[in-house]
Amino acid sequence: MKDYLKLNDISLSYHTKEGETLALENLSFSANKNEYLSIVGPSGCGKTTILSLISGLLKPSKGEVLLDGEAIGKNVDIGYMFQRDQLFEWRTIYKNVTLGLELKKKAKDEECLKRVEYLLKQYGLYEFKNSYPSELSGGMRQRAALIRTLCLEPKILLLDEPFSALDYQTKLNVCDDVHSIITEEKQTVIAVTHDISEAISMSDRVLVLTKRPAKVKCIIDINLPKNLTPLEKRENKDFSKYFDLIWKELSNEKENNNSIHK
Amino acid sequence: MKKKTIIAYTNEHKRYLKKIKVDKATTIIAQVLILVVVLGLWEILTMTNAIDPFFLSSPSRMIKTLIETFKTGNLIYHIGVTVYETLIGFLLATFLGVFIAILLWWSEKLRKILDPYIVVLNALPKIALGPVIIIWVGAGTSAIITMCILICIVITTLSMLSAFLNCDKDKIALMKSMGANKFQILFKLIIPNAFVDFVSVLKINVGMSWVGTIMGEYLVSKAGLGYLIVYGGQVFNLDLVMSSTLVLCLIACVMYMLVGILERKVRKR
Ligand SMILES: Nc1ncnc2c1ncn2[C@@H]1O[C@H](COP(=O)(O)OP(=O)(O)O)[C@@H](O)[C@H]1O
Ligand SMILES: [Mg+2]
Repeated sequence: MKDYLKLNDISLSYHTKEGETLALENLSFSANKNEYLSIVGPSGCGKTTILSLISGLLKPSKGEVLLDGEAIGKNVDIGYMFQRDQLFEWRTIYKNVTLGLELKKKAKDEECLKRVEYLLKQYGLYEFKNSYPSELSGGMRQRAALIRTLCLEPKILLLDEPFSALDYQTKLNVCDDVHSIITEEKQTVIAVTHDISEAISMSDRVLVLTKRPAKVKCIIDINLPKNLTPLEKRENKDFSKYFDLIWKELSNEKENNNSIHK
Repeated sequence: MKKKTIIAYTNEHKRYLKKIKVDKATTIIAQVLILVVVLGLWEILTMTNAIDPFFLSSPSRMIKTLIETFKTGNLIYHIGVTVYETLIGFLLATFLGVFIAILLWWSEKLRKILDPYIVVLNALPKIALGPVIIIWVGAGTSAIITMCILICIVITTLSMLSAFLNCDKDKIALMKSMGANKFQILFKLIIPNAFVDFVSVLKINVGMSWVGTIMGEYLVSKAGLGYLIVYGGQVFNLDLVMSSTLVLCLIACVMYMLVGILERKVRKR
């Protein structure tokens, strides 16, 4: 489905005592259903701001955000994942995963609990449901965080540099993990990252932003074979072509030493 | 579901473990030695009248006094009074302090408005309020408990508030993104997240509540360990002063250790 998520002519300013920061100006783009759209851009250009807008945590100064044809309200069904997994250390994995259900007063809903059980079993966390987060590896924790959002059957998944706190090895594995889960659960994903390789290997399309105030610089279709895992895509012969393309677009954008991670 | 593995230690590791053991043992020996030497010197110097026991009491005289006051039932009574006051003060101060911290977390406006008052209250030496307290709540147990609360509550409020405010912004955003209201954020995130800080506050409050209670007893009491100390001082009975102080030390230690045990239990998770 085209234009499942649509941002229309969005502007947003932050106000502080020091002054006004125009983070986004007349930004428009849209995402299709079941696609994985990555957003890359210079740091501080407004990527996190875009996700906050889509999630309804922030209101735009101007413009509108439409999800599935409806304006974003207060209680939209979105799943949000952050830089670190943000699991609550004092809750068991099961209690962490069902946090959203608890908040929505659905913790006793048979159907929801069945889904939780299915997700935990399907993605290898069932035996750890009574463990505490500190007993799990970084990859497993990230998977638990993903399941926590999937329990609520979100209409869209927002990822804000969710792999940036992981070491390189773990990151490659977690990317494969998350990619297969997302594909299997048929999620629509908007992911922010500063890692070009990650963006290419995970995404259907990559959106490059200008520096602040963010506008769409270009959108690049990634036409790597869909049946490959992210790790396999990294080995594909076309991979470096995409890398160079995005790298150049970003380099034009960066000022001074405002360098972008490889 | 952890697998047990049988580990054969290398000699190097055995030496390392041994070193730790020796280190621990020598520390304890030194600690005991200091105690024995100080008490021994004290006893000998006073026994030979090199120092007048009238001014310094002595270990043997302290023990004698303790046994005597214990036999008459006085000691237990005074201990009971002080422990009661301290516990009530400690519990009320902790409860009220946390409650106020929650209110201040809840309303940024309230926090801003009350900020200068809290700073002043924190800086004020609470003992200066002694006469006012006596006039307002009367010269009795309630004055002592009030003093105890005053001493503990400000630091409790400030520590808990800073713990509440320190909560990771992304965790709050996560809760909001899942549709949590402010109550849910408070009870499911902010409070459990501050639990470790809460235990530290308890530890501080154990010490502070003893300060508050003894100070209160100096001011107004007719019973309690603080009263015994003041009374002993007034009639120049140093045996009573010293032995009461000793008992006070011991009980405060016990209470501190109890909180320590609680802390270890919490940390384990
Ligand atoms: N709460 C805020 N108050 C004021 N300025 C902010 C706030 N959040 C972000 N900004 C500013 O808005 C710009 C975009 O921020 P952000 O969306 O976090 O960037 P990115 O995620 O791309 O690094 C930055 O220049 C930042 O300083
Ligand atoms: Mg960001």
